[in-house]
Amino acid sequence: MDSSADAFAPPVAGWIPVSPRLATARRVTLLLVYVVVLAGGAVLALTPLSVVWLVVYVVLALAAFAWTWWIIGRRVRSFGYAEREGDLLVVSGILVRRLVIVPYGRMQMVDLRAGPIDRWLGISTVQLHTAAATTDATIPGLLPADAADLRDRLAARGEERTAGL
Amino acid sequence: MMQPRRTSPLSPLVQAAPALPAAVLFFIGPGAAIVERSGVPLVVLAVVGALIGYVVFVAVAWLAWWRRTFWIDDDGDLRLDSGLIQRSARRLQLSRLQSVDIVAPLLARLAGLVEVRVEVAGAGDSRIILRYLTRSEADALRGLILQVTRAEASDDAPQSESLAHVPAGRLLAGLLLRSVTAGLLLATILLLVVTSLSQGPAGLVLVIITGGLPILSVVTEFLANYDFRVARTREGLRIRRGLLSTQSRTIPPDRVHAVSIVSPLLWRHWGWVRVTVTIAGVQGDEVRPDVLIPVAPREEALRLIAEVLPDVDVDALPFESAPSRARWRAPLTWRSLACAITPQVIATRSGRITLRTSIAPHARVQSVRVTQGPWERRFGLASVHADVAPGPVDVAARHLAEMDVAALAPREVDEMRRARLRG
Repeated sequence: MDSSADAFAPPVAGWIPVSPRLATARRVTLLLVYVVVLAGGAVLALTPLSVVWLVVYVVLALAAFAWTWWIIGRRVRSFGYAEREGDLLVVSGILVRRLVIVPYGRMQMVDLRAGPIDRWLGISTVQLHTAAATTDATIPGLLPADAADLRDRLAARGEERTAGL
Repeated sequence: MMQPRRTSPLSPLVQAAPALPAAVLFFIGPGAAIVERSGVPLVVLAVVGALIGYVVFVAVAWLAWWRRTFWIDDDGDLRLDSGLIQRSARRLQLSRLQSVDIVAPLLARLAGLVEVRVEVAGAGDSRIILRYLTRSEADALRGLILQVTRAEASDDAPQSESLAHVPAGRLLAGLLLRSVTAGLLLATILLLVVTSLSQGPAGLVLVIITGGLPILSVVTEFLANYDFRVARTREGLRIRRGLLSTQSRTIPPDRVHAVSIVSPLLWRHWGWVRVTVTIAGVQGDEVRPDVLIPVAPREEALRLIAEVLPDVDVDALPFESAPSRARWRAPLTWRSLACAITPQVIATRSGRITLRTSIAPHARVQSVRVTQGPWERRFGLASVHADVAPGPVDVAARHLAEMDVAALAPREVDEMRRARLRG
């Protein structure tokens, strides 16, 4: 990466994106949150407040909903990972961009998990742990088969390289 | 290796001591009824009650003491059998030793006793606390444990050579002149002046906070770091400190994951610095040494750092500074922001009022992170972080030129790999 000014330049093999189902999962969560927001609106409608306030509330809520809906799509597309010979790269974020580089030899544990919504949609999350708590290497939105493969590959490589520890 | 033995026979006397106030309260409470009938003075009742309560507690503690034995078995494990009715047998694998601490709490010290804490790596039951041993027994036990841990340990007693000592005056001055403390004390004085001029109690509530917090922290740290001594022993650097309870702790050099040299504005006139360290594998432990030296002249501090990070010349780190456009992102600190990578370590610099230089050996860095917020992107800046074990040291080079970061991050990853290969 000699003179390239892009600190987030993709590796030679390019970024592997995560499944768009992750966006669906996050939007389902968003919908669940908005059920509560709507309930708040309903309470507001019962109080003797002017209609203007109700309209303001609904408009604001809808705008925030639409914006979040749109940003979820972009955030999910911003995720990418790459397995290189000696390390794993994970990139994410739109407003704040993040790139994490974890050498396989530093991995202590690989986590595979899926919440209820994730399982329903058929995605899982792989997370790498090192001895540093600040290592933030999480890859959400993997298809379960890919996730299990990735975890096994990472675990195997980690073992290979920590052998001499 | 060592015959099963008991802790000091004086231990039950010390262990039962905290029961004294409880016993007094108990006998005054229900005793008040007796006083009315018998006319025994309350003071006598309290003293007698305390004595009876104390004796009962000592008896219980004595039974527990009688049934508690510890020894080091032939496999090199530290064993502790204890329990009156329900027996428990605890076994620590000394080959995974993390630390042996000798702590002297106030009460135990009055009886000339100390407590020994042995901790090994691993979750759950990973420590044994022996209450209490005499100082010489404790030293002998620690010597034995360290000998078991290091198979190559030779015959003679560990040589220790004193490296640093913090005089009480310097410690107190240093604590008072720390940036936040000094700032809060200044604010307190201002508030007092304003309050007295305006003749209203408006600022007094704030004074309690702005004055109380720094005084509390100065007192706490003064007590904890009083008579701070660092010595070199065969096992590593031995730190001994404390006024009310003396703590002694050994830092094996190979467990230092990162160090930070901190220099508050008001210290720079005397050239003082503080050195904090991140030691791996110690969590949630109040004896955890995160301070290598609380306040010392720079040269002395650098000598200590050389003990834990050999082959690093702190004054000759090839720092690459943030570009001047970083002033738009960090108007105060941009001049100090920098990052250096040598064949041994990665170092970062930050701060303006309090300057910090953080250093981590490549072999200890766990991962590399590059981050870029919207403002950084706007000015072509980015930050690079070297993730190390949890602790007080944060190795982050913020707001460098994005082009530099694009080169630094892969370079650090290369050095990490090379350091791991070297072992």
